[in-house]
Amino acid sequence: MKLPHAILVTALTAAGQLHAAEDFTELSLEDLVKAEVTSVSRKSQSLADVAAAAFVITAEDIRRSGAQSLPDVLRMAPGVEVAQIDNGRYAVSVRGFNGRFTNKLQVLVDGRSLYHPMFAGVVWELDPIPLEDIERIEVIRGPGAVMWGANAVNGLINIISKQTRGQAGGAVSVTAGTQGNGNVYARIGGAPADGPSWKLSAQGRYAEPSRLHDPSKDSVDRYSSGVVDFRLDNELGGGRDLSIWANASRSVTTELWNTTPVFSPMGGLRLTSTRPDQVLNNENLVGRYRWLSAAGVESSIQASIGRARLEIDDFAKEDHLVVDVDYQGRRAIGEHDLIWGLSHRSTRDDIDTHEPQVAVSGARTTIRQTGVFLHDDWTLLPERLKLGIGGRLDRATGNGTEASVNTSLLWTPTRSDSVWIKAARAPRFSSRGERDISILTGVSLLPVLSPAPGAPGMNVPVIGYFANNSHLGAEKAKGIELGYRKQFAANLGADLSIYRQRYTDLRGATLDRMYGCHPMFAGFGIAFDPAGCGYFGLPAGLPVMFNVNRTANNLAGTSRGAELAVDWLVSPGWRLQLSHAWSKLDMDSETDPIAHAAAVTAERSSPRHYGSLRSQWNIASDRQFDVWLRGSSGIDRVKQINLDPASGGAPAYHRVSGYVTLDLRYAHRVNKDLELALVGRNLIARHRLEYISDFIPTAATEVAPSWAVTARWKF
Amino acid sequence: MSTPRFLRLAACTALTGLALAVPASFGQVTTEAQLKAAYLVNFLKYVEWPVQRPALTICLFGRDSLGPSLASYEGRPIGGRELKIRKVNSPEQLADCHELFIADTEEARFGAVLRWVENQPILTVSDAEGFTRDGGAIALVRSDGRLQFDVNADALARAGLKPSSQMMRLARQVIGSVR
Repeated sequence: MKLPHAILVTALTAAGQLHAAEDFTELSLEDLVKAEVTSVSRKSQSLADVAAAAFVITAEDIRRSGAQSLPDVLRMAPGVEVAQIDNGRYAVSVRGFNGRFTNKLQVLVDGRSLYHPMFAGVVWELDPIPLEDIERIEVIRGPGAVMWGANAVNGLINIISKQTRGQAGGAVSVTAGTQGNGNVYARIGGAPADGPSWKLSAQGRYAEPSRLHDPSKDSVDRYSSGVVDFRLDNELGGGRDLSIWANASRSVTTELWNTTPVFSPMGGLRLTSTRPDQVLNNENLVGRYRWLSAAGVESSIQASIGRARLEIDDFAKEDHLVVDVDYQGRRAIGEHDLIWGLSHRSTRDDIDTHEPQVAVSGARTTIRQTGVFLHDDWTLLPERLKLGIGGRLDRATGNGTEASVNTSLLWTPTRSDSVWIKAARAPRFSSRGERDISILTGVSLLPVLSPAPGAPGMNVPVIGYFANNSHLGAEKAKGIELGYRKQFAANLGADLSIYRQRYTDLRGATLDRMYGCHPMFAGFGIAFDPAGCGYFGLPAGLPVMFNVNRTANNLAGTSRGAELAVDWLVSPGWRLQLSHAWSKLDMDSETDPIAHAAAVTAERSSPRHYGSLRSQWNIASDRQFDVWLRGSSGIDRVKQINLDPASGGAPAYHRVSGYVTLDLRYAHRVNKDLELALVGRNLIARHRLEYISDFIPTAATEVAPSWAVTARWKF
Repeated sequence: MSTPRFLRLAACTALTGLALAVPASFGQVTTEAQLKAAYLVNFLKYVEWPVQRPALTICLFGRDSLGPSLASYEGRPIGGRELKIRKVNSPEQLADCHELFIADTEEARFGAVLRWVENQPILTVSDAEGFTRDGGAIALVRSDGRLQFDVNADALARAGLKPSSQMMRLARQVIGSVR
């Protein structure tokens, strides 16, 4: 197994018993070879020589987290905000702006972007790769657009899968738990001495519906997913290698939407729920060839083709085909380490929507995005000072051309201290969905006084609708950050970063128009539009109003924050890791009331503090006990369905309280090939909400305590 | 609203706990990185270089280095010669390196870096298990609850380095032909 096992020396049973580091520097090779180590993880968690806030999650960290889904693993990285929406759905972001369709984050698996072109975000209910196949995850906070592409505005999550040479043989892992949680993983692989190595793995997950928050009963979010992943690696000699990935995944889940309004003639309103089934299919084929030229240029060309289908019953169906070609070159010469690249991505889609709930402008579209970049790491003073400077140009359909810039300075005054400062500019291209999709967004009640004096007022249902804006352009961000990393002792290191980022042209909204379905609205200066109402199936004469907003690049704001990561090996068998993030988003106040409301909503949905404390304890070489305490301060989520007339048309908010929760894991290694583990997750608080969906009014579900048993067998 | 306060309190307590406990365990725990650093220093004693230079230099390549763990050895005499530690990023900086460490996180660049050191008397070491098969000289590998090492004898021979017989005996696995 080529696991990046990190180790602690527990007992050095060599020539002499050794207690302190001083003794052990005098060890002979013979002593070192005999030194026994136990498998508490101690792998470098930070990329020491990188001028950015970076954190590494190792395969061992993933296993010891007890998590079954990728977003739950990401919770351990400082500055990564993860909130579970329901069984399969998550909101994941780095440094704020979290949402179900978070769009300021780039997520790569072996260099392939996981972006869904419709939302420019990641659909987390689809497992991109089994967790067992991940070698490590590098989380780099802050703008990284130059190297990683436009949209890496707030950060990058870079998932690196295991090389197949270390995956020969077979492995099976089975998890069964409360709430009907199940997970089965199996892998076979071969690594002949000469010739290509390969592996084929498959994973299936299942979960019974979770609990609705209100009313307290079962929801409908039964979840099942499967992924099959094949990888082949072929060393061709002379610094050349060829890798091929092929994978297919599918997820099936249902949502509960409290959306369909039913009106009574006098303004009464009742909502009925729908439970659309959602099926996602995704298939990818990726090839990568790396070679070295005689002149010393390291080149890599990666080409991929991917097909995906998203089907939501009675709502929308989307098919797309993505072709991606990416070249990267690297040449280290003298004090310079140059990297350059060229990429092109073309997405052809076919969207079928269920009007009037959702509509698309242009059912079939091809979107192209081309980028070119150059970056240099320039050693100004050997051992001491390194300057990073880079630029990128991207051109994307519907967005025009945007530039990204990155400048950094890394100062390492001693072997165990490094200080870095970075300034960067990154764009975030508007997505197909943002430009072309119109959608019903919610319902509220507006108290209206009767125009006739003395007559009673009434509560008018106002239906919110988001109209598309095909001219929506790119968002821009400019940030500066400062970081300090210190290794206090061999067993204690810390990493601190502070940042300030300014966002402009953020997607907000503005009023497009308002209209009513009853002639009386003309009395309030609101157009009576029977055709507009007819589109939504409402007859003229109903006292119902429509409030149509249009997306626009009309928000701006500044986010500030600090993140701390501490990694401490308290004793040979006990490791503690702390991560904490503090952040504050200040949106500019806007004169447009719609834009202002969107700005306030963005501010209020950012938690001020979130973090975790993990303890990994090796009780003995065959037993482990891990504790993970994590929490977040509260957020406010806008009520998409607001039936309280007292709010008078202004947005109302749900409070999602802050929380502290706990995960436990006890593992016993029966023999060198079999491990059994008992995992308890979310053990504090029974009826906890983590998030309430945005854009799509999914009924809120609770994150409840759960237990599971995992057996993992290697052969 | 008491939960965030509780969280802050928990964080503060944890931090205080950390701060208080630091002196007690400072430098007491040997980490894997220190063990690797000890290996890097030891290999210098078990390998003979074709040219004798007044100093012995360990070079560290790439992003993730053993720098902090090696710092305590810096300037010490190893077999009568001063030990130097240096970071390298390009082939031009390799001139006086005796040993080059490439962390496993730089696996994608093994081919290129091995090309840089071709036909030079530089001992290449990595903590990636497949390193010797990729043409590197020594791989530090975890096996049977120990940190052991594999040797590629051909790579050593190509570099003009003579390993001691004791080192070859202690290796977990030797690939290539031993002269």
